[in-house]
Amino acid sequence: MGTYRMMSRTMPDIVVCVKQTVDVYQLKPHPETLAPQLSQAQWKNSDFDLNAVEEAVRIKEKSGGKVVVVSVGPEVKQLLVRECLAMGADEAYILSDPSLAQADGAATAKALAAVIKTASPKWDIILCGEASLDQNAYQTGPRLAEIFNVPHVSYVNKLEVGDRVLKAWRAVEDGVEVVSCSLPAVVTVGLEINTPRLPSLLMIRAAQKKPLKELSLNDVGLTKDDLMPRAETLEVKALKTERRRQVFEGKVEELAEKLAERIIAHMGGRR
Amino acid sequence: MKVLVAGEKPEQVITTANYAKSLNPAQVVAAAFKPFTENELAMLGGAGVEKLIHIPEKYLASGAAASAAALAELVKKLDPALVLIYASKKGVEICGRLAQRLDAAYASEAFAVEKGEKGFVAKRLVLGGGYVATVSLNSKPALASVKVSASETSQGMKPAVEEFDPGIDAPAVEVLETIKPEKTRVDLEKASLIVSVGRGFKKKEDLSLAEELAKLIGAEIGCSRPISGDLKWLEEERHIGLSGKRVRPNLYIALGISGQVQHLVGMRDSKTVIAVNIDPNAPMATESDYYFVADLYKILPLTIEILKKKLGS
Ligand SMILES: Cc1cc2nc3c(=O)[nH]c(=O)nc-3n(C[C@H](O)[C@H](O)[C@H](O)COP(=O)(O)OP(=O)(O)OC[C@H]3O[C@@H](n4cnc5c(N)ncnc54)[C@H](O)[C@@H]3O)c2cc1C
Ligand SMILES: Nc1ncnc2c1ncn2[C@@H]1O[C@H](COP(=O)(O)O)[C@@H](O)[C@H]1O
Repeated sequence: MGTYRMMSRTMPDIVVCVKQTVDVYQLKPHPETLAPQLSQAQWKNSDFDLNAVEEAVRIKEKSGGKVVVVSVGPEVKQLLVRECLAMGADEAYILSDPSLAQADGAATAKALAAVIKTASPKWDIILCGEASLDQNAYQTGPRLAEIFNVPHVSYVNKLEVGDRVLKAWRAVEDGVEVVSCSLPAVVTVGLEINTPRLPSLLMIRAAQKKPLKELSLNDVGLTKDDLMPRAETLEVKALKTERRRQVFEGKVEELAEKLAERIIAHMGGRR
Repeated sequence: MKVLVAGEKPEQVITTANYAKSLNPAQVVAAAFKPFTENELAMLGGAGVEKLIHIPEKYLASGAAASAAALAELVKKLDPALVLIYASKKGVEICGRLAQRLDAAYASEAFAVEKGEKGFVAKRLVLGGGYVATVSLNSKPALASVKVSASETSQGMKPAVEEFDPGIDAPAVEVLETIKPEKTRVDLEKASLIVSVGRGFKKKEDLSLAEELAKLIGAEIGCSRPISGDLKWLEEERHIGLSGKRVRPNLYIALGISGQVQHLVGMRDSKTVIAVNIDPNAPMATESDYYFVADLYKILPLTIEILKKKLGS
């Protein structure tokens, strides 16, 4: 395969799926119900998705091509999408619909696939985070690959893109698997693949002029019924641990003495 | 009620089957891509499995798409109410594709699955691992990848083994090479003392401070994800947290670890937590029994000297 396409196009079109989630690092549970206090929460781009954006931009810087950011959710915030554009993505497509507040992996993948088909039908690589900050579901990438009937490689910590093929290093329990597959393909990445750049003021300004398009369910050929979740969340409750929370501050010599005491007191029968 | 259990490796299939027993199913069928030894077959029987279906290993070898395609064919043939796949990293990606293929409700990395009113209900960690979500799986079959630990196993009647080759094609991923880590085989889950290191350490060589402390008190070394993943200073299997090990030692000593939610979930079952951190306001402060606000480079050498004297070594 490949020769024809290789000559016709070697610069990859990359789609990056970026999820906006509550900032779980700031999130506090309700003291009595233990439910997460979502209404007071800040929102951010899911951590690994910024690694995915960074990787896409690095591929573009090397091989040319285009980076398209897509994001779906109940209320996708343009300001956060602009952060990705400032990092070097070229354009963005977002789909906001209240029905996505209850979305499970199936509904999310369906919505993303529909947006991708509309926004960038000739994509070569879809990059996702391996897991999202809030759901930690590890499923959107594999689901998208299944929808498009293409190979996927998950848990990637190093990626090389060649002519119509990719080579990836992926971390699994048995070690690092070096794998290869043809394009188009879906790739999911974690924290380890790179360090996302902090955009300069200049890049932030340039991002204001980049195309950011809001799509509706209708624009992408979906109805609310299509987005009915198969898996329904009944309840979310904080785990609680009780700790003594004793804080020691002061001169390091005294602290070392106390630290040694505590260690000995809690090491159990061991010597 | 019929349950289909599967996994990447024989011992994972056995663990999953043992877990499925708690649901009192009428029948448990196991599917696996790798051959079982006679002993493993007996263990599978002990877990209540009547039949093991062997899918040729070539499906697993050509990646998650092929594995999921083959399993989907098996699911169509067997029509189980529930499919449980052991949540190894490969198991999880296979299950994601399988769920999509079957248009089934799916919970990933569930730590519990129960029978609910409408169907099955799964429990899993969300929001960084600080919260438990209860998820109702409203489809037949319902799917879950399960992160459960091995329970006591016993031998039983060996299940019948059947071959199943659906002869189906799927997009392939070729494995060029597997780089095995240097195996140190640490069993952090069983350790009673853990000294855990984070990005408060500036250089790999500096970990010798933690190692000396660990040696002195007979502790295992654990770490936060950046230490093994980003920096590769320690083996992957030492990383503790949402994407790593869940540990429950008597004493957990966190050195230069900020205590982000994804780390906490891995160590919150520790009996006692001692932390050393230069920042009085790091999240670890409220997750510790004893929190020492100090520069680890200053306090550790002193502490080690004191311990040497007190422990007489
Ligand atoms: C989906 C997902 C899954 C994740 N899974 C995991 C996981 O399983 N495990 C995990 O650990 N992380 C995980 N993370 C990453 C997690 O969010 C944090 O980034 C990580 O835990 C931080 O590691 P750290 O505490 O070592 O580093 P930092 O957060 O950088 O903290 C370093 C700490 O060291 C202190 N320090 C600095 N200098 C000194 C000194 N001289 N003496 C004493 N203290 C000092 C600092 O005050 C700081 O608190 C995950 C993230 C995501 C998004
Ligand atoms: N609503 C969404 N919008 C855009 N991308 C998403 C969305 N949900 C999930 N993703 C992508 O899929 C990855 C894995 O998410 P999850 O399957 O929820 O763990 C994320 O890191 C994103 O790259």
